[in-house]
Formats: sequence, structure tokens, C-alpha cells
Amino acid sequence: MNVDILTLMNLVDLLICLVVLVSAIGVAVHRNLLAAVVFAGVASLAVSYLFLRLAAPDVAMTEAAIGAGLSTVIFLIAVRKTRETEDGS
Amino acid sequence: MKTLLELALVLAAAAALLSVYRLIKGPEAFSRAVALDVLTLITMPMMAGLALWVRRSIYLDVALVYAVLSFLGVMALARYADRGV
Amino acid sequence: MKQIVALVAVVLLAVVLWRLVPLAAPTQLGPVARHYAEWGVAENGGSNLVTSIVVNYRGFDTLGEVTVLFLSVAGAGFVLRRRHGLVVHEPIPASEIVQTGARLLFAPVVLFGAYIFVHGHLTPGGGFQGGAVVASGVLLLLLADRDRHLPHGFLGLLESLSGFSYVLAGLAGLWAAGSFLANRGVLPLGSWNRLLSAGIIPVIYMVIGLKVGSELAALLDVMMHAAGGDGEEAHR
Repeated sequence: MNVDILTLMNLVDLLICLVVLVSAIGVAVHRNLLAAVVFAGVASLAVSYLFLRLAAPDVAMTEAAIGAGLSTVIFLIAVRKTRETEDGS
Repeated sequence: MKTLLELALVLAAAAALLSVYRLIKGPEAFSRAVALDVLTLITMPMMAGLALWVRRSIYLDVALVYAVLSFLGVMALARYADRGV
Repeated sequence: MKQIVALVAVVLLAVVLWRLVPLAAPTQLGPVARHYAEWGVAENGGSNLVTSIVVNYRGFDTLGEVTVLFLSVAGAGFVLRRRHGLVVHEPIPASEIVQTGARLLFAPVVLFGAYIFVHGHLTPGGGFQGGAVVASGVLLLLLADRDRHLPHGFLGLLESLSGFSYVLAGLAGLWAAGSFLANRGVLPLGSWNRLLSAGIIPVIYMVIGLKVGSELAALLDVMMHAAGGDGEEAHR
């Protein structure tokens, strides 16, 4: 491994990628759909930062505009209208 | 100067990881909502710091979107508890 | 059991992507991308190259995308019609802070969304992002006061007129410069990085912003007042 990639900005990217990973696993694992919605919001936030880091500000702004308020609320309305946990209890 | 900025971003990312602990552990969904709010508060200056690091002012618009809209998700979760959603 | 499956899936995906990503990343631009990068600003006048690609070079695809958005919102609105006779629990009214804050913040949020789609050709953003921010502003009002009903007739009219204006802009390009959604002949290109530049691109993005904003606001209103009730209702 060459030493060029061991920069501080790459360390920041690695830590934010860890956040995405943890929240993605959290979405898959939790049975309580409310918690899953919160994890999805966190994943959207961290991915937006990664898009900015990859020099794509339009994509980052799209992810921000949709993931910051609208996506969470639409999921919450859907959870309210159906069931709160995944196995139907 | 750039190294100082990079160090600040590393510290902010470490703070984000600390609030991920609350995200994982929180016994209720509302603890996780608080962690989401804190994560938004940390990521927004990180985006502004990145804008300074690459010297482009257009990156600040993304941070501005989060600054304006971040409380909507948390407020919707709070209203969910009040049966208002 | 599900946790183990999720973990294994994530690890497998990581291994696959680790091997595949260096293969797919080219080191120089292809011919089409090089034309966009070299001639994009000169041909379109706006400083946001992504907007020029989305609205001008690929403008017809964007028209299709706007149609798809309209179809999905119309479908959701059709499925979620309000049915009478279902019991709905009375919500606790929002606190004074939320109600006052929502009324105060609605105008700046809508203004911010309008800023995003008016400056689509200069700053990152554009019609879709600005429309989503405007819909978030309307959502703020809906969260603070659950019994508020949006004027669906006005929203439908605004959305239809905006969609129609997009096609009109394309036809104006056809009349003025010879091809549908052409950019050069209809409005002047202007000087670089000014608000009144880039031909018809800001007009199209304004129209898209209005359309997306009114669409998503109507969708949120329909979803909030849809039939369904709580989870307990489904078990009775």
C-alpha cells in the first residue's frame, strides 16, 4: 500500500464510510420500523457528504433536499398507516 | 493551514462516530432521532470545511440545504408520537 | 438469523465492489464527455455544466423524467383516496412553538427553494432540488396543523400549466432554431455567470421547480389525510 492514500482527508472519508455502513446494517436488522427510518436518514446524510467529497455537488444537493425532510416524513406516514414492526405484531 | 483544516475535519468525523454509538444503543427510537439531529449538526460544518478545503463556494449550498431542512425529520418523528403525522 | 444474513451480504458486496471498481474507472474522458467538457460552457452560456447537460443536451430525457414523476404522483393520489367511515384517533395539537415557528419559517423556506431553482444554471441544484425544498416548506405547515387542507384545485392547475410550459419551451426551440428543446435561438445566451444567461435553461428549470414543488406538496397532503388509520385499526 503506497503512502499517498494515507492522508487525513482519506481518514475522514473512511470514518464517514463507517457511519454509512453501520446505518445500512441498522436498517436491515431492526424490526422496529421507526428505528429503521432513522437509520435510513443517517445513511442519506453521510452519503451526501461522500458525494461532495467526490466532487458532485448537484448529486449531493439532490440527496440533501430529498433525504433531509421529505423521505423521512413519507416513510413515517407509511409506517403510521400500516404496521409498526416488521413481523406483523 | 490546510493541515489544520484537515485535522479539524478528522475531529468532527470522530465526533460523528461518537454519536453513532447513541444511534446503535438508544433503547427507543427517539434516542436515535436525537442522534440523527446531532449527526446533522456535525456534518453541516464538515461540508462547509470541505468547501473551504477545495476552495469552491458552490459546495456551501449543500450545507445550506441541510441547515434549513434538518429539523423537519426530527419534528416529524416527534409529531409521530403525538399521532399528528 | 437475519442479522447474519445481512452481515454476510454486506461483506460479499464489499468484496465484489473492491475488485470491480478499479476496472470501471477510466483515466480519460470518452468522446462525448470530452465534447461536453470542452464545448459545454461555450454552447450553453451557464456555468453549471450539469444543468446544461440535463436540460439542453439531454433535455428530452428530462421531459420523460418529469412525466414519470407526474405519473407516480397521480397513481399514488388515485390509490390513496379518502374513504369515509374509518375511525381516526384525534391528534394532540402541536405546541405553540411549532405552530408559530412553522408560520414564520414557511416563507423563507419557500424563498430558499425558489432561489435554488432560479439559479439552477449557476449554482448546484436546479428544478428538482428546488421543488423538493418548496414541498418541504409546505410539509412544515402540514406538520404544525394537521387539519389544514391545501387547495388541490390550484395545485393541480399550477402543475398542469408548468408541465405544459415545458413542452411550449421545447416547441419554441423547434420554431426558432429548428430542433425540439433547442437552446440557442429562443433567448440570448448572455454573458457568463449572470442571472439572465444560458438561453432558455433558467426558464425550463423554473417551470420544473414549480411543477415538482406543487406535485410533492399535493402528494404529501393526500398521504397525510389518506384512509388507513393506525396499526391497531387493521387488527380490529
